[in-house]
Amino acid sequence: MSLEVFEAHMRTAIKLARYALDHEETPVACIFVHSPSNKIVAYGMNDTNKSLTGIAHAEFMGISQIQQKFGVHNTEIFSEIILYVTVEPCIMCASALKQLGIKRVVFGCSNDRFGGNGSILSIHQDTCTTPSNNYNIVPGILRREAIMLLRYFYVRENENAPKPRAKSNRKLDVENFPPMNWSKYINREQFLEYFDEDNLRHYDDMTDLSRDVEWGLIDSCQDDILERLEQDCESFELHRVKKLKTDVI
Amino acid sequence: MVKKKQNPLTIDYRKCLIENRLQQVRNTTFADHPDLVNVWTVDIDPRDSHSLINFIKDIQADEPVSFQHIKRIRKNSHSGLTAIICSHEMLQTEEDFLRLLKDAEFEYENTSGRFQVPRLGPSTKELSSEWSEKYWPLVWRGNPNDQILNDYVFDMGLIKRILQRISELTAAQHEKDPLITPAVSAFVNPLNKRVIYTVDGRHQGSPLDHSIMLGIKEVARQEQQRRDCGTEDPTQSDDPDTYLCLDFDVYTSHEPCSMCAMALIHSRIKRCIFLKSMACTGCLTPASGDGYCMHNNRNLNSSYEVFQWTGNEFIVPHIDPHTCC
Repeated sequence: MSLEVFEAHMRTAIKLARYALDHEETPVACIFVHSPSNKIVAYGMNDTNKSLTGIAHAEFMGISQIQQKFGVHNTEIFSEIILYVTVEPCIMCASALKQLGIKRVVFGCSNDRFGGNGSILSIHQDTCTTPSNNYNIVPGILRREAIMLLRYFYVRENENAPKPRAKSNRKLDVENFPPMNWSKYINREQFLEYFDEDNLRHYDDMTDLSRDVEWGLIDSCQDDILERLEQDCESFELHRVKKLKTDVI
Repeated sequence: MVKKKQNPLTIDYRKCLIENRLQQVRNTTFADHPDLVNVWTVDIDPRDSHSLINFIKDIQADEPVSFQHIKRIRKNSHSGLTAIICSHEMLQTEEDFLRLLKDAEFEYENTSGRFQVPRLGPSTKELSSEWSEKYWPLVWRGNPNDQILNDYVFDMGLIKRILQRISELTAAQHEKDPLITPAVSAFVNPLNKRVIYTVDGRHQGSPLDHSIMLGIKEVARQEQQRRDCGTEDPTQSDDPDTYLCLDFDVYTSHEPCSMCAMALIHSRIKRCIFLKSMACTGCLTPASGDGYCMHNNRNLNSSYEVFQWTGNEFIVPHIDPHTCC
């Protein structure tokens, strides 16, 4: 797996997060990729507003799509699936993904309040959550884009607040980004496994893989992304059915 | 808040045990390590202290940190006073702090003092003196956990009825099929005291259908139904909206796993009472699993109360200690 592949899939997740932002939800989104075929099998957005629960996170929407497609008891399929999510999964989602046996989690920015892949706890490597299912994580992919979408959301939310609080009455910051503390999530060996040696300075300097923000990705309307994802997921199913048929012959 | 002597409940403050049955569960490892909060301070002339106190009173409603265990004003080395105005949690930048001070009717200087104070007082008087020396003068009012224990409200009759029902439901599950994970939870809505019971559903459904996850979804489903088409039960029609599981009491047969313990944080519950601890997968008691104490973790800015029922009145079936509940 290379940085190009990570970024290509994360771009799709970022577009979906932009879509969520435009439809009154938190700009957090994910896609689930079938690793052997490199095809998208499911996607998810936060649904905490409509669902009336605090647990309808993007990951759970994608998990239930996979379960519908492959059977609710089929956990083997998760060992071939990589999750790409714009924000580090919370502790609950990190645990759910582990109990199902996910292959790997790739994320954009950290979840400083609830993160379960290194920020608050490291569920993916712990002993109390099905330790036989420990999984690897890849942090920091399109991190600045993920952070910017969250900033857009908070500025917008403050504009809508009945009584905007003085402390959050601040302008949108498009230039400064907090340092990326890679060592909180992965060690140098793991970093070198995912990224080439030229990038190692970012690990030591606590900087992003790229200083540039792909503004086109987060500043344009992504209303067609949902249809495209539906098609992708559907075509994966067809592909799978075809393969099964040939197996029978 | 009642005085300790007037509390109708029997509380063992040393063992943190209520009515000899409910064991308070908390992360004691860090109870005597100060959790420090940054504060904004000013130096003032002693004659202005009255004006300063009035100023603080006016802004107190916006202050998320409690300073009850702290002396608000201390003497400083240049025969003036240094006073805590507010926490960095209330105002994050010095710019905001200076804006707030524009309305002050007293003279002040030295607004960039870097003081930290403990969020909670320690459990002993000795530590209180030590922290007063080290950080900022504290007021010793006894072990703060004694007051916390004394302030809890329990309806022992209701608790016993619910735990009895949970025990019966787990037994019924186990009898139906020994392969079913016999875990059961109850969600009590504080607005109307209605109880929703849910049983573990992973034998039929998803491996993630633990009783707590199903309970959270069932609360939302019933609330959605109530909003959509009202309810046939006239006693409920005037109910205010239920927001998530805000201030719910949750009862569960087996100590929750990392997913469920965190789901309860997201759901904003008030209290969780459980019967059986889960040695490997539990995430509430310090001795279980990785000792997360999810409900009482300083790095999570949200928490809930947890108690374990220690009597042997309510039996629940054994579940493999490696199973997440």
